[in-house]
Amino acid sequence: MVTASPDEENKRNRTRDIETNSESRSPVGRRRFLQAAGAGATVALAGCSGGSGDDDVVRLGATYILSGFASLYGEAAERGLEMAQSEINDNGGIDGRDVEVTVRDTEASADTAIQQMRSLVEEDNVHGLFGLDSSGVAQAVAPQAAQLQMPYMITHAATPFVTSPEGEHEDSVGNDYVFRDSNSLSQDIYGAALTAAELDATEWATIGPDYAFGYETWDYFQDFCAGLGVDAEFTAEQFPPLETGDYTPYISSILDAEPDAVLTPLWGADLTTFIGQAEDAGWFDQIDHTLFSVGMGTDLASDGNPLPEGEYASTRYDPFVPDTEANNTFRDTYYEEYDALPTYNAEGAYRAVYLYKEAIESAGSTEASALVEEFTGMEHAGPVGDYQFSETNQATVSSIWGTVSYDEEWESNVLDPVNRYEAGPDELSEALADSDLPTGI
Amino acid sequence: MSASTDTGGRVSEFGSAVADGWTRERFGLLGALGLILLAFGPSFQIYLFTDFLVVALFALGFNLLYGYTGLLSFGHGLFYAGGAYGVAIVLRDLGPVFADLVGSGISPLVTFVVGGVVGLALVVVVAVPVGWLSVRLEEIYFALITLAFGMLGYSLIIQDPAGLTNGTDGIIVLLGSVDIGGGSFRIGARRTYYALTVVVVLAATYGTWRVVNSPFGTVCKAIRESPDRASALGIDVRHHRWMTFIISAAIVGIAGVLRAGLASVASPGLTHWSTSAIAVIATVIGGATYFSGPIVGAFVFLYIRWGISRFPTLEAYWELFFGALLIGVVLYFKQGAVGGLLLLRDRLLGDGGGDADGGGDADGGETASSDERSRGTGATAPADDEARTDRGDNS
Amino acid sequence: MSLPSLVPLIGIADVIIGLSLGSRLFLIAVGLSLIFGVLGVLNFAHGGFYMLGAYVTLAVVTNVVDNFWLAVVAGALAVGVVGAAIEFAAIRPLYDRVDADLDQLIVTFGFVLVIHEAVRFIWGSGSYSIDPPDVFNFSVALGGSTFSAYRLVVIGLAVAVLVSLWLFITRTYFGSLVRGTSSDREMASMLGVDVPRLYTGVFFLGSVLAGLGGALSSPLQSTSPALGDQVIIDAFIVVVIGGLGSMSGAFVGAMLIGMMQSLGPQFISAGSIAIPFLAMVIVLLFRPEGLFGGIGE
Repeated sequence: MVTASPDEENKRNRTRDIETNSESRSPVGRRRFLQAAGAGATVALAGCSGGSGDDDVVRLGATYILSGFASLYGEAAERGLEMAQSEINDNGGIDGRDVEVTVRDTEASADTAIQQMRSLVEEDNVHGLFGLDSSGVAQAVAPQAAQLQMPYMITHAATPFVTSPEGEHEDSVGNDYVFRDSNSLSQDIYGAALTAAELDATEWATIGPDYAFGYETWDYFQDFCAGLGVDAEFTAEQFPPLETGDYTPYISSILDAEPDAVLTPLWGADLTTFIGQAEDAGWFDQIDHTLFSVGMGTDLASDGNPLPEGEYASTRYDPFVPDTEANNTFRDTYYEEYDALPTYNAEGAYRAVYLYKEAIESAGSTEASALVEEFTGMEHAGPVGDYQFSETNQATVSSIWGTVSYDEEWESNVLDPVNRYEAGPDELSEALADSDLPTGI
Repeated sequence: MSASTDTGGRVSEFGSAVADGWTRERFGLLGALGLILLAFGPSFQIYLFTDFLVVALFALGFNLLYGYTGLLSFGHGLFYAGGAYGVAIVLRDLGPVFADLVGSGISPLVTFVVGGVVGLALVVVVAVPVGWLSVRLEEIYFALITLAFGMLGYSLIIQDPAGLTNGTDGIIVLLGSVDIGGGSFRIGARRTYYALTVVVVLAATYGTWRVVNSPFGTVCKAIRESPDRASALGIDVRHHRWMTFIISAAIVGIAGVLRAGLASVASPGLTHWSTSAIAVIATVIGGATYFSGPIVGAFVFLYIRWGISRFPTLEAYWELFFGALLIGVVLYFKQGAVGGLLLLRDRLLGDGGGDADGGGDADGGETASSDERSRGTGATAPADDEARTDRGDNS
Repeated sequence: MSLPSLVPLIGIADVIIGLSLGSRLFLIAVGLSLIFGVLGVLNFAHGGFYMLGAYVTLAVVTNVVDNFWLAVVAGALAVGVVGAAIEFAAIRPLYDRVDADLDQLIVTFGFVLVIHEAVRFIWGSGSYSIDPPDVFNFSVALGGSTFSAYRLVVIGLAVAVLVSLWLFITRTYFGSLVRGTSSDREMASMLGVDVPRLYTGVFFLGSVLAGLGGALSSPLQSTSPALGDQVIIDAFIVVVIGGLGSMSGAFVGAMLIGMMQSLGPQFISAGSIAIPFLAMVIVLLFRPEGLFGGIGE
């Protein structure tokens, strides 16, 4: 696509001309000019380095958190997408072409994510983008996808506002180019409210990270409980900043309020830290039920604190349910390769590559607009089950909540028993009828 | 250069200066040509260069305080964020107001300009008290209090006061499209924004240049060299530092406004000490004792960073590289990149180097002769420790 | 919240937690303060030293010998060695410069980056945690709340360190050299004190303290490459409030900040992070020498 060669050629010629002229002058001038021109030339030349319209390869760009408190999420996603990449390439590729995924670190920052996105689109000339772990980042990235006119398949970041069309709510940033193949916070918390309905808890509290994701979890939970008729009182809330080292003061504060149950969307290393400190503080003895809405992420893999058994957690993908061939094969292959059960980070990324494969093969092209058209309303099946993309580009994946237990055989936390709740547009609209929060589906 | 007053005379003087060998005028012209040519280059390179211009301005503003006045601030990100948030909030909240006032055709441009002015004003309003308080301290304590102010700003912004700042997620900045006389263009379009940034940065750099080479600037240097001596000469050291602080903040504020438009988001990270550190790193690497030091340093920082990003294995550890570079420069090569380039030039041409070869542009060209002038009493290019006259005891 | 209801909400557990947070801060701050008081160097990399102490301890416990205390000693000493090396190679050459303190600050900032990446390179970007040594691995219930018994150990050790340091500085020969040199370097040198060696020694001591802090705190928090940055700002706040160069100042300042961190979320859920910075600004403006300014007090 980028064929800047004519310009670049001219520039080189011009440089050479001036160079020759200067030879008749003092050597100083030539050296000095070279220094100045060198910079300019490097800049121009380098611009042509990444991808020169080579269409033998399908290039995809992935942006995940690879450093910092949630680096394990990005690493899990990398495993998933690498698995998809090698599977696809070993089996004839996409329409005979190999797929190449370039992964970049968003550092959990909107600024960095946008830069990486631009670099992928303009330098590496990718045909499509996917990724994102942080809701805050996703919210800033969504408008950029529309501006760059590049499809963006979100595989984890959960804020409902990226699949809520612009204008629906003051925070909505959904548009035609942004899709999500995993379930959203809205679907997830719908399941939380359904879980809450089964519990004998009346006083609820929350402890969540101090940004959109933390607040949205609590807002949606309250509105879903109201909409579903769950008898709940919301008594305490704490929002410690991301990457807090010591949660103990916040833990004490919640314990002082003596709620029956707590919903927490803490994630990444923060969740691991929190669990250890909460155990020390006797949290799990005092509080009847704790719901971890981002519980089954990659926290299992870190040495230290797996989720306490008997509590509740949700996941965007369960390695055992549905009990289909697709799911079982995926799980077993992943386990053999990486010696750990696949988490939803891995599965979401894995499926994104396959989604692109299907879209490209159906459309017979890698043109962005063709891909967007294919994704819109697409029906697809993967390890997570069957689903389709709703009107607002949100995948109708179920909301999965279960009781935490530890499986000795697989050496990992699993959900057992686990409930899959249908969380489609109808269910959510009904539950949020009295709320002004968008369903995001 | 003689001082002719009529334009025709000036133009012909310029022309003959350009024709007369490798003068500053020639470099200026070539630099301008380079900038214009770049506008036709690959989109990403334009973006990268625009980013460089913004960071260069940030570092330049910072260095007015550090290199020229001797005050190391670890909190200049506060003003960077101030400019960014100022324009972001205006765009978000006053956009519709302006659309009603001037019609939705040109309102995005008007809103942006107003936003920029508001951002700058906000920065100055903050800089006045912050600066007044900060200059009461010296050296390490100045660094500490500016760090504290910067982080205070950070903690306030993430609290989302009065619903203005949207907490940790920051404010999304969408510049919009302008319709003028039948045609329309996006302000945020790569080349448009590049042109805008070039103009603003060049103007601001020129302004800074004038400040630095004015009596005001000379007093700054005098204070840096020896506050006691300056004070004995009747200079109100504290007051002067305060003024310099405000100007420095304003320059950084302008950079902040540009940054918001470029990054499409105003985020609290801008005022975090790690962002303030970028100005420090860029300046030190470039050479704090030269006017062009921060600019060259910003160039090195961004382009080496970009170069490293082409190699994923190295990219993962880019901080290591810059940390080591910083240590090396401070220990062995305080003159920084600019100093190094000058030494290289001197070595290549023996003793033939003279005034004629200074280039005066903001795009990475040398400003050797002007640097020699700007460094005040008894200063020559090499080793900083020799160049500085005594500043009193150091314990 | 009305004033009368404030008091009953401060449980004894909150106080213990606040003191344990303070103890952790003290260990990192006292080394920083000592180094600044004697050498005039503000060591930005001190947070990195703390983090390194935690990582080495973890590594020793996991790979070498499953004895927490030995690992702590190893961690502290390892960091001391790293610190001494840094002082010798990168800080010593700068003392004679006119802008020594600023240059040294920048160099140590360079080491912040280097240590961060080195840690990431060796141990990856994930986070780790370990349990307190078995004998202390239980919870204490007090006044309606529970906390880990290990926190009491940390408090006790911090006090022990304070006392030992005080004795060291006031009662030993090395301590007197330290005091003498910090008040007048040139004079000390003329009297035959090997100032550069002394400086390295003090830097070693300060680094050991930071490493010790990190090592001892590892059972109470998760260890990740972000730890250094998290802690250094808190350390700066503590030494400013307590007084750069004062050990008892570091202790009081640390406990103050620790209590603020513990009680903050209960009273002011929003804005509790701004308070330490505000305190820092106020102290710098009105009493830059801190609450206890001076060396060896």
